[in-house]
Amino acid sequence: MEKTIIQFIVENIFLFLPVGILGIVITVILIFRSKKENIPEFDDLTADYKTIGKYSVNLYTLVYLFIWISIIIIGLFSNSNFIIPTVTGGIIAAIPLILLILIQRKNKNSKVL
Amino acid sequence: MSFIEINQNFGEHTRLLAPFIVVITIVWLVLVYYSYKKYGTKMTIIYFLPITIATLIIESAGVAGGRYYYSGYIIYISIVGGAVPLIIALAWGVNLFLFMNMGKHFISKIYEKRNYLQIIFISSVAGLFGVCLDLLEDPLAHYNNWWIWTASLKGIKFFDVPILNFIGWFVLIFFMSIATLLIERSRFSENRKVLLSFTSLSITGTTIFVVHAIIVRLFEFTGLS
Repeated sequence: MEKTIIQFIVENIFLFLPVGILGIVITVILIFRSKKENIPEFDDLTADYKTIGKYSVNLYTLVYLFIWISIIIIGLFSNSNFIIPTVTGGIIAAIPLILLILIQRKNKNSKVL
Repeated sequence: MSFIEINQNFGEHTRLLAPFIVVITIVWLVLVYYSYKKYGTKMTIIYFLPITIATLIIESAGVAGGRYYYSGYIIYISIVGGAVPLIIALAWGVNLFLFMNMGKHFISKIYEKRNYLQIIFISSVAGLFGVCLDLLEDPLAHYNNWWIWTASLKGIKFFDVPILNFIGWFVLIFFMSIATLLIERSRFSENRKVLLSFTSLSITGTTIFVVHAIIVRLFEFTGLS
């Protein structure tokens, strides 16, 4: 009979509990016994845009696009019976790409992928 | 099984495992290099190493519990009894860094205030984007035996993949993103942030454990799992 991860952890609680308590105690000590430093109050997200030709491309969108295309190609090569799951999953997985491209275009009003 | 095991039969019982591993390796190298160039060594450790350790433990518990297993990979690591391919744990580093940054880009265009609410929004988007990709990847992985779900698992499934798997993806990316963003934006020194990223795994892990347990119970109660 297979167990969920939760059941497995509960059955081995004497392994996980001491490690967990130790981690929590050290975290609390680290948070409350340390000097604070100044940090920049903004994220430099513009550095994530790379210029390819005349387009400004978001690196993370590009990496996601690469994964998306690669997985779809593997799916289409898997078996002719597996086209429906690949297409269904491909459409759902395209949602983040579409949203990111739309929101970037809306905000920049320029040639941005 | 020893802590590290090398499998001599690469790709056994699987289909198209090599291209899958190549894709993960390329993406991991690109993102780790980019993170190193942009944020430096310590922040790269914070982004990639804690999630790798956390998922090695979680995945090892999942395999040890008999819900799924991995076949045909080269390097396996066994933390709590279940053998997990190293590349799978590294892929989780990619998941966190990629989806968290996609979430940052998405939310920063909608909600510019740099506060706790923005962290929640970014983490939610990161989790949802992760689930979107997993809905493509997991059925394919199951079909090609990159990881194999035990046939006797009941409940709602998406192309033979239990729906709780996708909820697990969301919960893991959501809470790990929150922890990483809180540490990233804290005013501690970078050395302190590195230490916190490891020790806080116990708090993040406990939170994930409790939330996931509640969702599993809810699914069992409603007969969905």
